[in-house]
Amino acid sequence: MTMTDCASCADERAAGAAFCEACGRALGAPCPNCGIPGGVGEDGYCQNCGMLAGRPRDHIDIDCGEVAAAVTDRGRRHHRNEDAMWLAVRGGDVDVVVSDGVSASFDPDVASETAAGTAGALLAESPDVSAAILGAKRAVAELASTGDPRRATSNPACTIVVATVRGAEINIGWVGDSRAYWLPPEGPAEQLTEDDSWATHAIAMGADPIAAMQDPKAHAITAWLGADASPVLPRTGAFTVVGAGHLVLCSDGLWNYLPDPESFASTVRAHLHAGGTLISAARSLVEFANAAGGADNITVALIPVSSPAPAPDSSPATDSAPATDSAVDSAPATADEPVKE
Amino acid sequence: MPYTAEAFQNEFLALGATEVNAIITVTSSGSEGGRRTAGATEIIIVDASGSMQAEGRISAARQAAKAAVECIDDGVNFAIIAGVSTAQQLFPAPGQLAVSSPQTRADAVRSIDRLQASGGTAMGAWLLLAAQLFAQRPGDIAHAILLTDGDNGERHGYLEQVLDSIAGRFTCDCRGVGVNWKVSELRKIATALLGTVDIVAQPSGLTAAFEQMMTKAMGKTSADVQLKVWTPVNASVRFVKQVEPEVMDLTGKRTEDGPRAGRYPLGSWGAESRDYHVCIDVPAGAAGDEMLAARVSVVEGDTVHAQSLVRAVWTEDTVLSAKINRQVAHYTGQAELADAIQAGIEARKAGDDRTATIKFGRAAQLAHASGNKATEELLATVVDIEDAATGTVRLRRKVEAADEMALDTRSTKTVRVGRSQ
Ligand SMILES: [Zn+2]
Ligand SMILES: [Zn+2]
Repeated sequence: MTMTDCASCADERAAGAAFCEACGRALGAPCPNCGIPGGVGEDGYCQNCGMLAGRPRDHIDIDCGEVAAAVTDRGRRHHRNEDAMWLAVRGGDVDVVVSDGVSASFDPDVASETAAGTAGALLAESPDVSAAILGAKRAVAELASTGDPRRATSNPACTIVVATVRGAEINIGWVGDSRAYWLPPEGPAEQLTEDDSWATHAIAMGADPIAAMQDPKAHAITAWLGADASPVLPRTGAFTVVGAGHLVLCSDGLWNYLPDPESFASTVRAHLHAGGTLISAARSLVEFANAAGGADNITVALIPVSSPAPAPDSSPATDSAPATDSAVDSAPATADEPVKE
Repeated sequence: MPYTAEAFQNEFLALGATEVNAIITVTSSGSEGGRRTAGATEIIIVDASGSMQAEGRISAARQAAKAAVECIDDGVNFAIIAGVSTAQQLFPAPGQLAVSSPQTRADAVRSIDRLQASGGTAMGAWLLLAAQLFAQRPGDIAHAILLTDGDNGERHGYLEQVLDSIAGRFTCDCRGVGVNWKVSELRKIATALLGTVDIVAQPSGLTAAFEQMMTKAMGKTSADVQLKVWTPVNASVRFVKQVEPEVMDLTGKRTEDGPRAGRYPLGSWGAESRDYHVCIDVPAGAAGDEMLAARVSVVEGDTVHAQSLVRAVWTEDTVLSAKINRQVAHYTGQAELADAIQAGIEARKAGDDRTATIKFGRAAQLAHASGNKATEELLATVVDIEDAATGTVRLRRKVEAADEMALDTRSTKTVRVGRSQ
């Protein structure tokens, strides 16, 4: 059997060499699957075993030192990462976006990447989470009429959760079931978002929470970004942090394994304390979700936030209920609205 | 670049699955300005055996050959072979090729008047002479028309031996006139030489058939196009089939081309589109693995005209892996349709009516479901189709030989997805 050959000229003598003897071209990286030196061709596939050497989005770390960290990962079960994220740090200011593609739609990975990129770029211009989400919504809706014609029949769609941190001021906005949490130094985490999901809606309407969460429709979302989305306004919230804690944004790939606020808080806290750095905590949280099954794509962003003068009470002080700012908040979806699974 | 190659497949495989299927649509807009990129040579082979005297076949064959000559473009090389127990060159002088012009075509037409029916049938010898004449012009778009009305009279195995030695040198469209020739014999020639086979039941139909074949041949602008298939280590090509405009298995025609790659001949091309079904066996991957199962390119010599990737992505998501690509399903059905018809004809000939009824029933069902109306109509000449949807048919007691032969020769003709429905 031939050990390897040059990707450019198919010369077999290139085995083990960094350059092909026949055409002199530099050979690509060794194949992570079969280990053939220079195996990976220009199209990303191994010239020997055919395996894709890796998709850039399978695992991405963003390390902003002590200010923020975010990690997205394909997980164990899905063939690609349909989650996307945006993390921008300017001094102490942080903009963060997490988006999760709706698997049943066509090109959901493009939808989430478009949403995160568009919202992030808009936040860099103006820290208006509502405007950022509406911009992302328009950009995702436009995808239906560009690129692959199959997008027209099953338009790309995704969720979005956006947050800005300016000193002790946090603004959040969301559509769908990607979440933001406030994690105080102790006690349960506070979910700042309210899922646009069938289960959340059913529970709000009086259904038994346990039964509702076990329903096959539980995770179907009732609001999303996409050409077929209803004209629901993004829901938003604004908080001023008193004391210190962590803002956590994540996709359902993580929170599915930590359904209640107590387990969420204790697990995230344990990972924050274990590694020492934010990025190591974000990475190990992803490893935790993978160890638990990795059934979905996993994205998590960690941002420490504290008030200038720490007060004894360390929960975020808000004018209204934590997860909602009633002045801007739109009505939750009604039961007969369409859902996406 | 006038060629495109587009892959249609469901790349998602269930865990443990190792079979990758894709339909590759190759389309060419023809060479620039419709000009041939190579020279062209045409050879017309007309059976002049004694049996051709019957039913005015020889005079119809003369008319048809003349009409075909008139279709040859200026500048194209050509020759006419009279097929008897040996191969006799009718035009121009033995061992020569003529260059088409109004003058040479008129000379050829006069020489066709000398064509007389007497002697035997020796298709191997006829094809061998054609190959020798084509050999004078390597690189030409080389095409022959073969007309016969009977069985080959050469010793058993000789024709196969000749076909082995000349395969790939030229393409050959075969036509049988009347009903005393064997479909299997002409199909053997057409398959080896990448041509078509059909019946011309009535001698009066020959002129139109010859004109149509020659006009199509004149539209070819590239001589020798090939499909190159690269597969990764531990993978193998199960089959490569042309599936549109008709089914033709190319698997056995592979020639190796460097490590893990092989070339399959596609013959000459003009402005046209054809579909190929590629099936690859690969080692199973883990959930999330993505493999390049095949890199399929359309090549001519060292030139790569177009390329397309056949991928395999393993997933636990059974909703994704359970979907069968529409094109793959359609052409799998069209190939099964051709097989069912041929098996039905074999069974009927062997007197096994039960098997014949089952096979024709399945064929009727497949033809109906895929919108292949032409084949459904041909089937209706051999069986009474009571319910095409369920494949309920009854064998006809009296079947015209010409109808059964037409069904046999045209059983491989396919339709595209959604077309003609
Ligand atoms: Zn490899
Ligand atoms: Zn998800």
